[in-house]
Amino acid sequence: MVTKNNHEIRDPIYAFVHMDSGERLVLNSAPVQRLRHIHQLALTNLVYPGATHRRFEHSLGVMELATRIYNSVMENGCTDALDIEGDYERTYYQRVLRLAALVHDIGHAPFSHASEDLFPPGCNHETMTLRLIESEEMEKLWRKLKVQTEDVAKLALGPKHYTKEIFSNTEAILSEIITGDTFGADRMDYLLRDSHHTGVAYGRFDHYRLIETLRVLPKAYEDGSTEPALGVEGGGLQSAEALLLARYFMFSQLYFHPIRRIYDIHLKEFLCAWLDGGRFPADVTEHLDLTDNEVMSAIWRASRDPGLPGHDAAQRIVMRNHYRVLYTRNPNDVQKNREAGQAIYIAACEEFGEENVRHDRPKKSAGRVMFPVLELDGRIASSLSMSDTLQHVPEVAADTVYIHSTFLDAGREWLKENRESIIESALEREDEV
Amino acid sequence: MKQIQRDGLLFELIDKLTKHGSWCGETHIQKAAYFLEEMMGVPLEFPYILYKHGPFSFDLSDELGSMRADGLLEWEIRPEPYGNTLKTTREGKRLKANVPRTLERYRPAVSFVARKFGQKGVKDLEKISTALYVTKAMRNGGCDARAREIVRLKPHIPYEEAREAVRFVDEMFLEAEPVIRRVAGEGP
Repeated sequence: MVTKNNHEIRDPIYAFVHMDSGERLVLNSAPVQRLRHIHQLALTNLVYPGATHRRFEHSLGVMELATRIYNSVMENGCTDALDIEGDYERTYYQRVLRLAALVHDIGHAPFSHASEDLFPPGCNHETMTLRLIESEEMEKLWRKLKVQTEDVAKLALGPKHYTKEIFSNTEAILSEIITGDTFGADRMDYLLRDSHHTGVAYGRFDHYRLIETLRVLPKAYEDGSTEPALGVEGGGLQSAEALLLARYFMFSQLYFHPIRRIYDIHLKEFLCAWLDGGRFPADVTEHLDLTDNEVMSAIWRASRDPGLPGHDAAQRIVMRNHYRVLYTRNPNDVQKNREAGQAIYIAACEEFGEENVRHDRPKKSAGRVMFPVLELDGRIASSLSMSDTLQHVPEVAADTVYIHSTFLDAGREWLKENRESIIESALEREDEV
Repeated sequence: MKQIQRDGLLFELIDKLTKHGSWCGETHIQKAAYFLEEMMGVPLEFPYILYKHGPFSFDLSDELGSMRADGLLEWEIRPEPYGNTLKTTREGKRLKANVPRTLERYRPAVSFVARKFGQKGVKDLEKISTALYVTKAMRNGGCDARAREIVRLKPHIPYEEAREAVRFVDEMFLEAEPVIRRVAGEGP
């Protein structure tokens, strides 16, 4: 009997994700299999019922997209800036890229980003990803697959989170293919996949066209110096615009949806009460033992038993009895006071009690809309000079104050009367200098 | 330092860099803010890592994005081959006016850095900021040792240029001393 070396996995976004038997060893490892039990979007399914997909299929998707981007970039030429020569190196880096894409999220805690703050100080999901990549179980696999552990780690984490060494141009471009803020496969996949599962159509864009037109191009600086970066041929500019607009719309409509966000807050409140010391473990084995399943089971039990830790938050999640929106960010308020939400939160706490009010001001990485574009005549221009659309893609921000449902009507009346005076009078003053 | 004070200083830095001839792209702002913090002692409290063009703060980068979201900064698009510029909006300038004492204390440091960096290109900024990074890391390192460390970290920088960058940083420290003392509250 002939043993099959190539395997395909059905996927709702790309039809099939392909892998060979070596890569399947990594897929079958405990850290990657655990991702079957980590929701991509935490408790978003309480708002968008279809959002029950997991980090596992996202990781497969990132591997598939990263490969398509790599192949396209290598075939489109202009790769002199990359230190990848000959078939051996080209195959090696493709292998490393695929494996790095597959493991790039293995450090996530239960419910992904929603509970990121509960790692011990100095630790985050990227730190855990690095520890797992360097763990004994994974090291054995890297050796078997003849790839260097640090190569996988560098590409999986990118220069922001792998700070042991400075990245070469080649490593910087390859990690950008996975983790890049503009054309990274991670971003592309989560937009497409989250859009598919939630039914929020804004996340779709023509990724086929975009990927076909990606190239390594010199990104120019004001003094005329350049460095290689991922850019697009002129014909792909509209699909790049669509990607960046999709990101804007998905943050506005989905990721910063106020009810989605309050469930993150209630979830974190539960975890603070339920976890030992209110923190996730930093130990690799303990990390692997904890998934959404254990947490969800504990939430279910705590919701029914007032004596268990986290009962209040648990019953809010299970009974959908979340805190209600009292105030949301308004551009006019921001002009008066950049921390308007914080001012209203503090005033509302004084009026209704701290236990009845919550505040959410999520931080988000800045969108990168500047990249090189190859014009038909061979010149290279900045995307911002080529695209009016990109010049005006807004940054998304949220600033929301929530209140216990019992106080919602009273809170709204109170806010109507006091809103302007709170925002203006609470304008933060400078400290003594 | 409160958020409002840090915002005000960033607006002041951007305005001063522009005044001193900088294109005021993000690289310029990053490097100038790094010097403001690490050489002049202005406590902006952004964490930096050694990145492609020298020390870089992702937190600062996100903060600049957040300021755009709040309508306090905006892009000004320049024709090729010039880079795009970040400008303080009217609202940003209004917000800056809320921190007069902070500006009074730190303005000499901001002006000093902006004057030194306004005309520098990205390549120079990379060398000089990496030289400061290495100088801070090797407190007792001589000029030669620091230059060699720069070349180790950034092999594309020739040794002679690395030495020149180290000398520039040493001279800048000497020149900046009265301003540094003033920032620390020791000067007049």
